[in-house]
Amino acid sequence: MNETDSERPLPPKASNGLGKVPRWLIVALVGLLALIAGAYAARTTLAPSAGKDATALFAVTLPDLDGREQKLEQWRGKVLVVNFWATWCAPCREEMPQFIRSQAELGAKGLQFVGIAVDQADKAKQFAKEINLNYPTLVGGMDSLKLSSALGNDLMALPFTVVVGRDGNIVHTQLGPLKQAQFDAIVGKLI
Amino acid sequence: MLLALTTLAAAAGGVPGLEPRLLPPDQAFRFSARALDAKTIEARFDVADGYYLYRDKLRFSAAAGGPALGAVTLPPGKRKKDQFFGDVETYRGSVVVKVPVAEGSTGQAVLFTADSQGCADAGICYPPNSQQVRVALPPPGGGPGPVVEATPARKGLFN
Repeated sequence: MNETDSERPLPPKASNGLGKVPRWLIVALVGLLALIAGAYAARTTLAPSAGKDATALFAVTLPDLDGREQKLEQWRGKVLVVNFWATWCAPCREEMPQFIRSQAELGAKGLQFVGIAVDQADKAKQFAKEINLNYPTLVGGMDSLKLSSALGNDLMALPFTVVVGRDGNIVHTQLGPLKQAQFDAIVGKLI
Repeated sequence: MLLALTTLAAAAGGVPGLEPRLLPPDQAFRFSARALDAKTIEARFDVADGYYLYRDKLRFSAAAGGPALGAVTLPPGKRKKDQFFGDVETYRGSVVVKVPVAEGSTGQAVLFTADSQGCADAGICYPPNSQQVRVALPPPGGGPGPVVEATPARKGLFN
């Protein structure tokens, strides 16, 4: 990447300062750069997301807003959109009305939204009521961020959305808002 | 060379595949503190461009066994209307807060914790985050101590 920079003749001012730097140190630094670049590249290719089967996700059991345990497995075979959200996350709250509309529109065709609230149950319940949420939301607390991390949410930030096809494979994972046009393009092919 | 290293390290800290690259919370919200004098800790957040912290989510505490902390006056933030929470205040750039420490705790090393919560303009929010520094209080009459930066146990490159 930037290794070639060290091959270029240094400007006079800089060479005065760097003249005393031993050659082995430069070699070591270039080596370190290569190592970092390598690790970075490996990290990129290891990022889990599309194509992976959603077995780990289907195995999750969490309480819903009424405290009843729900297993995600029950929605296998649907076009499943799992949205990790929280009331403390403004961008999450902003995109949920769009999800409500999509659920109303495409629910009969096999689309199923399921929320996972990284929040306290009472706060999640109050908000769900306020916006007339028309799909189930489970309450996961902070632990569910670890689940989202296993699905590719490295930063463990919100919103995070996972789209699973009818065949049980993850089609798309999204950190940050899922824009309507993007949603239409992804889900349109699955419905 | 140093510039190249810094650039690469910054790139490696972000998440690939996202535009703009998003920082881990400990880099988006850098926390540091120093003893101003025997009875004051100065806490500081340096918020990266494009990120903000919520004023009402900011809390400071000292570990059990440490000195008691006095009431804190947080600087005013930028007012913002939130459709669910009403009026909220946010911080951008640097935020400096003076935290009074009970007298008689001089010479102690205080394990000082800041709890915060913030978001990125890119449309994501981070969960509540705790950051810690160990601040040594000077003896009475002593001047400011060195700035201690939080060294988070963030996910490294090699795990």
